[in-house]
Amino acid sequence: MARGTYLRLLVFFLGPAVLVYSLFSIYPLLATILNSFYSREADGSSLWAGLGNFHTLLTDPTWSGPFWNALRNNFVFFLIHMCVQNPIGLLLAALLSLKQLRFRSAYRTLIFMPTMLSVVVIGFSWQLILSPLWGIAKMFLAFFGLGFLFAPWLGVESSALITVSLISVWQFVGIPMILIYTALLAIPDELIDAATVDGLNQFQAFVWVKLPLIWPTIGLVSILTFVNNFNAFDLIYAMKGALAGPNFSTDIMGTLFYRTFFGNQLQLGNPSMGSTIATMMLIIILIGVMAYLFLVQRRIQRYSF
Amino acid sequence: MAEVVIENLKKSFGAVEVLKDIDLTVEDGGFVVLVGPSGCGKSTLLRAVAGLEPVSGGTITIGGRKVNDLAPAQREIAMVFQSYALYPHMDVAANMGFGLKFAGTPKAEIAARVGEAARILQLEPLLKRRPRELSGGQRQRVAIGRAIVRKPQVFLFDEPLSNLDAALRINTRVEIAKLHKLLAATIVYVTHDQVEAMTLADKIVVMNQGRIEQQGKPLDLYYRPANLFVAGFIGSPAMNFLPGVVVEGGIDLGENGRLSMALPAAASPGTRITLGIRPEHMRIAETAGLPSLPATVDLVERLGETGFAHLRLATGGMAIAEIRGETGLRTGDKTVLALDPAHLHVFGPDGRRIG
Repeated sequence: MARGTYLRLLVFFLGPAVLVYSLFSIYPLLATILNSFYSREADGSSLWAGLGNFHTLLTDPTWSGPFWNALRNNFVFFLIHMCVQNPIGLLLAALLSLKQLRFRSAYRTLIFMPTMLSVVVIGFSWQLILSPLWGIAKMFLAFFGLGFLFAPWLGVESSALITVSLISVWQFVGIPMILIYTALLAIPDELIDAATVDGLNQFQAFVWVKLPLIWPTIGLVSILTFVNNFNAFDLIYAMKGALAGPNFSTDIMGTLFYRTFFGNQLQLGNPSMGSTIATMMLIIILIGVMAYLFLVQRRIQRYSF
Repeated sequence: MAEVVIENLKKSFGAVEVLKDIDLTVEDGGFVVLVGPSGCGKSTLLRAVAGLEPVSGGTITIGGRKVNDLAPAQREIAMVFQSYALYPHMDVAANMGFGLKFAGTPKAEIAARVGEAARILQLEPLLKRRPRELSGGQRQRVAIGRAIVRKPQVFLFDEPLSNLDAALRINTRVEIAKLHKLLAATIVYVTHDQVEAMTLADKIVVMNQGRIEQQGKPLDLYYRPANLFVAGFIGSPAMNFLPGVVVEGGIDLGENGRLSMALPAAASPGTRITLGIRPEHMRIAETAGLPSLPATVDLVERLGETGFAHLRLATGGMAIAEIRGETGLRTGDKTVLALDPAHLHVFGPDGRRIG
């Protein structure tokens, strides 16, 4: 093929994708990073600040207090997903793949349904359910004589973050379930028959044969959870507003960024500090993903059957 | 090694009966091959013996012990699967020793038994490899090795060669036959390939629609098939079937198709019968004293020394005859087909052999 034709084809096939990706992904990313190196003066002009914004964010108590708080909350948010959502997803996938199970597709659909609902709807519904005034949760517990267990979980600093995290877990548990279920389906029946002949019961066959074969999928689910959790914003905003109350106890990186960049109530928007926080989020996610790729992914083997 | 006795075995999925009153004895050290078309129940029968498939009735006895209610691992069987079913995340040695590990066998003994099996199967250089680093034939040997280390009473093979290419299949078939002699093993082997069945078996069991059609020595099935199904299933190309009617002193197959032959008393004149004859028992060319049928050549397939002529008979039907050497036969030639009277099979209206 002539060189000119080749180049023309290259532009024709790759051009649109490169254009759209550059315009809507690479440019905003670079602009954000660049923005974090400038400081915004009172008269609206920008001034090169180097790493000054990062220094301010990490050391100035006005900025570092909320930042470390949001980062810690974000890790709690992530750990709850890892320790609750993904194990439950694995368990549900294992149950769904049981041969004896009836109404399989009904369960699958019902469990996956919340994932497809709007986060705003989920947040609103759970706020109603958990409301201390008219919430069904209180009556439900009281009906079983467990009314003393009820507390206004969303309104108490010590439990608000855990409650919001568990609501998010409830909504998204369908995703690890479906991914792991698909991986389990790919394991041939004969392999499990062979394990049965080798003397393993169903549970042992799961632990010793199926589980090692779905590690790659579990790894994938973990890294997706990590990225999604550190980019989370909508559920907190829908349930607790931009102030992520009570007393910032549900504040995560997303909400901190939102208040800083766009401003909120008496706080003025500060694009350069907002960009600094966004860049920090990028760095944190990058570190997490790279650690996963280099430390975990390389040791996991994928199997074809 | 042990004898396997299956009595009155039944199995149904809902209203569908997939095994109907199966009675089968596998002698100690015997090699029984189950053959039949897809869906005939041969794999289900094997899985029932393995304990992977619960049965609806009847008994399975292995080495004098009724095993109906025992788990597969307690039946002292070992199974080789069609897809080999090796654990992809374990190396060859771990694959072979996995069952023993779960049975609580001491490590030293596992190593010894795995080593022994590896030596028999020439797998020693591969012990540290993962299944995906092995060829199809090597995987097959590992699967057999996994069966050997269990020192089972009975080996069960479920179409073990069907994933191998043609050349390897012949090699592995010979290997399995040698292994059977070496281990003096009792083997139940499922296949849809009649060449495997004929070459490996002491006893062939032909199954169809959940029933045993006939069981016996390979050559008995070949020379004296009990019914039309077995006659058509064993042998390649399949036996020719010519419909006809019994007449005085012989049978009538239609136009120019009156053959004189001795028939058993049961075949009274007027009975509708099917005459069966294998391609290798027909000659093209007039031969004095042999019953013969006029025919037109439709197609000639030459395989070298032998070949097959597809013929349109004057009686209306089609037949395939074996040809040997250079015959000069061509499509459209009119010829005469001589039938070897010693190898004529006569089946009654119900499909059963009558002579």
